[in-house]
Amino acid sequence: MMKDAFAQTLTVASYEVRKYLRGRRLIGMLVLLALIIGLILGVPPALGVKYASQPNVFVSTFAGFASLLVVLGGVLFAADALVSEHEKRTGYFLFPNPVRREVLVLGKLVASLVTSSMIISLYYLAATVAAVAVTGATTWEIGLSYAYALAYMAAVVGVAYLISAIFKSTVAATVLTFFLFTLIFAIVGSLLNLGKVAPWFIPTSAAGIIGDVLAPPTFGGPGGAFASFVPDATTSLLVFAAYFIAGSVLAILLFRRRELST
Amino acid sequence: MPPANRPPSPNGAPVHLAALGKDYGRFTALKSLDLTVQEGTSLGFLGPNGAGKSTTIKIMTRLIRPSRGQATLFGLDVQREPTRALTRVGAVIETPEFYGYLTPLETLAYVGRLRRMARKDITARSEAVLKEVRLGEWAGHRIQEFSKGMKQRLAIAQALLHEPDLLVLDEPTSGLDPRGMAEIRDLIKSIKGKGRTIFMSSHLLGEVQEACDEVALLNHGELLLQGSVRDLSRGSGRSTFQATFLRPPTETELAALSGIAGIDEITPQGDGVFDLKISGGEEAQAAILEAMVRQGLRVTSFRPLGSPLEQLYLDRIKESDRI
Repeated sequence: MMKDAFAQTLTVASYEVRKYLRGRRLIGMLVLLALIIGLILGVPPALGVKYASQPNVFVSTFAGFASLLVVLGGVLFAADALVSEHEKRTGYFLFPNPVRREVLVLGKLVASLVTSSMIISLYYLAATVAAVAVTGATTWEIGLSYAYALAYMAAVVGVAYLISAIFKSTVAATVLTFFLFTLIFAIVGSLLNLGKVAPWFIPTSAAGIIGDVLAPPTFGGPGGAFASFVPDATTSLLVFAAYFIAGSVLAILLFRRRELST
Repeated sequence: MPPANRPPSPNGAPVHLAALGKDYGRFTALKSLDLTVQEGTSLGFLGPNGAGKSTTIKIMTRLIRPSRGQATLFGLDVQREPTRALTRVGAVIETPEFYGYLTPLETLAYVGRLRRMARKDITARSEAVLKEVRLGEWAGHRIQEFSKGMKQRLAIAQALLHEPDLLVLDEPTSGLDPRGMAEIRDLIKSIKGKGRTIFMSSHLLGEVQEACDEVALLNHGELLLQGSVRDLSRGSGRSTFQATFLRPPTETELAALSGIAGIDEITPQGDGVFDLKISGGEEAQAAILEAMVRQGLRVTSFRPLGSPLEQLYLDRIKESDRI
């Protein structure tokens, strides 16, 4: 039974990855990726500014955009994964098969994580190659920043799945996921700062470690300016894990109960 | 599916619905449905739009949960053991959408792999079912190019892929043009000929009469009748005939006409044409025709309007609507 469920999960994942590979979203994302990398590498020489000579500082420019790429990955490759089965009526063909709903969610989740991590990996690969070419060196911190970006990606995907399991429209799920991570969490973090509460549990705050591990902030932490508060690495990773697990588990529970009656 | 791989069927009929009900808030879509379909039967699940047919089928295929009662397929509760219960079932619910980025072959491979079929079986069966639904030439085209009729045929193909013992079809000809409807009907008849159990919902009586050997009639979430198409066609007892006379009957002739035993109701349609509601079977119909001729009425045609089953259907639906 478990063996069957595992095989079915892999089947669902492989077909979902195929969906992303054949879709326009991946192409769009790759174009955006190329644009960001091109701008980071092309603008300084065009303005007559020298590249940073330290690998960590050089890659920190890339890391500054990593959070945005992670969020876009979650929006494009996760936010509509569940809701589209209902809205686009593909569930009428998929659900009457002898497959547990949790298997469908897990398979899709694996596909979203694989596809999003492909984007992040490509981005960090380009950054590392550029760092070696420009500075002649690479560091462990670049690897750590990459690992933190992947952890943040898992949190974004988990939350995106929860939203996808709740909403009835793909547009609503996609828009909310985007604004949640680009605006709403930031607003909540700022309000908490005003109330002198450290926003350690806000994932966008925790995502600060992606850049901080390469170029530590000049201010922040207890007693400092809370606007750039970033929890320590362990707390951040725990926050990412909590959002991923809670989001995924709730998404599975909601998707199992959700009826296809449109 | 080879018999060895099939889950046990503890004396379970292919379909057994017990006191099945479904509420949407204060609206009751299905009251309390009791229905059993025996192996090898082709059951037409008839009823007007909103009768509760799709609700029943969605519960059977676990797209929705029942508010009460139980749906079992081959003795397995769909809610408690969904994966085992649906193993021997192929289903087409409404007109499903498919992933546009896949081809029919890839779609069938997906379904086959989800159903844990062997690769060589998937290949062989995919070719066979696509040929059966006349999509063989389109096997390698992406589904995003397909018309509604082609998607419906693909839906039937995926339902047949694993050679299910029970085929559940929800309005299988819905939205198709007359040619597409005829093709699907022929396909269903050929499947029926292979001895599979078919549970097919429809609001088209002719379709059910043509493709099924049993009928269950549903309205307002309640089962009104169940029986064999043959028995119900014969035994309805009432039918409507249209009589056309060479010249319009006089008042006296009309009075004589209404006095003929077996004629319950006369409705003039103008120009010497009358609809006659008749009680009794073929014997009574022949006697009425003889009586009309004996009374000097010059009958130019005397033909049934619709089938006796259609009359029964309409009568029961009307009666149920009144209640």
